[in-house]
Amino acid sequence: MNEKQSELLDELYAAVVEGIGKSTVSLTVSGLEMNIAAEDLLGNALIPALGEVGDLFESGEYFVPEMLMSARAMQAAMDILRPLLAETGAKPIGKFVMGTVQGDIHDIGKNICNIMLEGAGFEVIDLGVNVSAATFIEAIQEHRPDALGMSAFLTTTMLRFAPNMKELREAGVLDGLVVYVGGAPVTQEFAEHCGADAYAPHANALVRDLKERLGVASR
Amino acid sequence: MRRRRSGGRAARQAERVANHIEQQPFLTRRLKPVEVLGNEGLEIIEHNADIMLEEIGVEIVDYPEAIELFRGAGADIDGTRVRFPAGMCRELVANSAPRTFTQNARNPDRSVVIGDPHTVFAPAYGSPFVSDVEGGRRYATIEDFRNFARLAYMTPSLHHGGGTLCEPVDLPVNKRHFDMVYSHIKYNDKPFMGSVTHPDRAMDTVDMCRILFGADYMEENTVLLSLANANSPLSWDFNMLGSAKVYAEANQAVLITPFILAGAMAPVTVAGAAAQTLAEALVGMAFTQIVRPGAPVIFGSFASSMSMQSGAPTFGTPEPALMLYTIAALARRLGVPFRSGGNLTASKTPDAQAAYESMATFVPTVMAGVNFVLHTAGWLEGGLTMGYEKFILDADQAGAGQALVAGVDMSETGQAMDAVRETGPGNHFLGSAHTLANFETAFWKSGQADNNSFEQWEEEGSQDSITRASQTWKRMLKEYEPPPLDEAKDEELCEWISLRKASFPDSNV
Ligand code: B12
Repeated sequence: MNEKQSELLDELYAAVVEGIGKSTVSLTVSGLEMNIAAEDLLGNALIPALGEVGDLFESGEYFVPEMLMSARAMQAAMDILRPLLAETGAKPIGKFVMGTVQGDIHDIGKNICNIMLEGAGFEVIDLGVNVSAATFIEAIQEHRPDALGMSAFLTTTMLRFAPNMKELREAGVLDGLVVYVGGAPVTQEFAEHCGADAYAPHANALVRDLKERLGVASR
Repeated sequence: MRRRRSGGRAARQAERVANHIEQQPFLTRRLKPVEVLGNEGLEIIEHNADIMLEEIGVEIVDYPEAIELFRGAGADIDGTRVRFPAGMCRELVANSAPRTFTQNARNPDRSVVIGDPHTVFAPAYGSPFVSDVEGGRRYATIEDFRNFARLAYMTPSLHHGGGTLCEPVDLPVNKRHFDMVYSHIKYNDKPFMGSVTHPDRAMDTVDMCRILFGADYMEENTVLLSLANANSPLSWDFNMLGSAKVYAEANQAVLITPFILAGAMAPVTVAGAAAQTLAEALVGMAFTQIVRPGAPVIFGSFASSMSMQSGAPTFGTPEPALMLYTIAALARRLGVPFRSGGNLTASKTPDAQAAYESMATFVPTVMAGVNFVLHTAGWLEGGLTMGYEKFILDADQAGAGQALVAGVDMSETGQAMDAVRETGPGNHFLGSAHTLANFETAFWKSGQADNNSFEQWEEEGSQDSITRASQTWKRMLKEYEPPPLDEAKDEELCEWISLRKASFPDSNV
């Protein structure tokens, strides 16, 4: 890697940490023009930058809106790199389908999980709120994600997890899929009882657990 | 002065502690509300709310019937987006919503008047978990619900029975409301709140009250108050508006509350969140007036700040206090009763954080002139947990609120000139006729605080406030005796409930 190239990687790293979407995109494009491989842009700038952002967030130095800006910058770069990475057969970091279950419109907790997942480089397909089992199944069939997340904030709607699991099983979409459940009234014990694979009490824990399960290199 | 001969110090103390405040059906304020913004500022906020409603409008989700009602009243409809000409909602509310109304209890001595110059305290609402110092945190059951109904009945500083005292997770979702409403009726005789999780359950609540109070009586009188939250920002959905419609049609009161985590669901600033709250509340309140002009409605606001490091709601912080004062003033200008505040905290146990955050919410609640205070007692963990000890400690402080709203007594007794004349320079007041006539009621006395000497406190086991509160709720439940309920009515209610329950299968969805 020549000096100019490594300078660019440094700038790209800084742009993501600072959460500046425009520079992130233009630096990604220039990087490709300078013949830096997509894998190198990802592995030597974007991912380490996200590691730094994640550390800043966990230590309380970065606030949610800053995390969001960095995650958006990362996703904008990923939109450019994804097709190139697919061509070279590089394994994407991972895909996550997320939604709040039917009857429930609480979405702040879920949105924060999404921000953290995107900030960690995952591709997130957000189905929004009030999501039926049928919609979850369709999305899994369409996007083939590595993991699914169901969020619920009401004791009345967290009871949807078990019947949803049953429908997912019957639709045959559970193979190779990690199913997470979460939300304020949900506990580890309840998650086990409803047949989900995993539970996380907050967004950081979700990202950590998911990386471990998928064997994604940790920072 | 009365003399008590038997029982000694302990009995005397128990009696005085138990009688530290009198049960009043509701409070009448003499204390002037504190305002933090002049008319000019309030007008700007009202203007901004009007602009939000005219320019941006609100989404009405999954409820075409409500959209048609709004259209009929003059709103502009664009699919599910409803926009309101400036002043339309305000006029609908100001023209017909009552300034005050009475919510009748089955015991007429416990009926409450909601609106200025009155204040009503109700227990916390909605927690899926309960906790106590020995049992820890666990999912709530119907037995916990009954316990809190019993405690609310026995607590003189609470004027109202509340609603979802905790969520009875052990019962099927589609039938919980029967047992919750019945528990309010059976274990307490104060007014209470109805189910809002589905319009059908709202209807069941109304039907149960028709058995208890009589259908004709309910046409003329309000016996139910129920909570409908907006889905901020700027969105109302079928369950909430649909339930509001059932209650308003039956002339029952609805508490319209934008419930805001500023930063996520509204702008991070006080004036921004207040304007959005006003806009959303105006839509909900106007809806009840379209459904039935004159139906009682309360303007509610629940505004919390948020941890920008995790997204979690934070309580007892200064900004929500400023929002509370501001929105209370907006409600007064509109001329409708106002709900907000309580003893709010994010703490998990009734510790020091719980105490100061609660106080930092409760004092503004009282000083702002809130008319209906949900979440007065029990709230922990941002509303995720109803705490037994926290309930006792909060209810104790609500008694202080009762003394505070009474304001300054300017009667002859209050001025106390005779006391000063009698005592004169250099002497003490403890034996003066004025003191002897007034000492028992002069100062509000906490039933929970320990003001003894160190040695006394140590001798009595060095108990902290949580330990004392734990003993209190256990003693209260042991001593509880239910208020009398007409046996024929009770039977009719139970029979109706079991028939209704049998008429459709249990379901958790
Ligand atoms: C804000 C809020 C609302 C807002 C929601 C706005 C929105 N866009 O989301 C509004 C006002 C709309 C609302 C409405 C209602 N609410 Co509400 N609400 C809350 C409140 C105060 C905060 C929730 C929140 O967003 N927290 C912030 C986030 C960041 O929370 P968090 O838990 O820390 O999130 C983390 C984890 O949960 C986890 N996580 C979340 N999702 C997922 C998913 C997966 C897969 C994983 C692994 C992890 C995970 O990661 C997150 C990030 O770290 C809670 C009380 C509370 N303290 O939780 C009540 C609360 C949940 N609501 C409650 C109630 C009762 C209602 C209403 C029924 C009230 C009414 N009568 O109108 C309605 C129901 C509406 C509906 N059909 O869903 C009750 C629920 C009680 C119960 N019985 O179960 C609560 C507990 C409050 C109370 N005491 O009443 N509510």
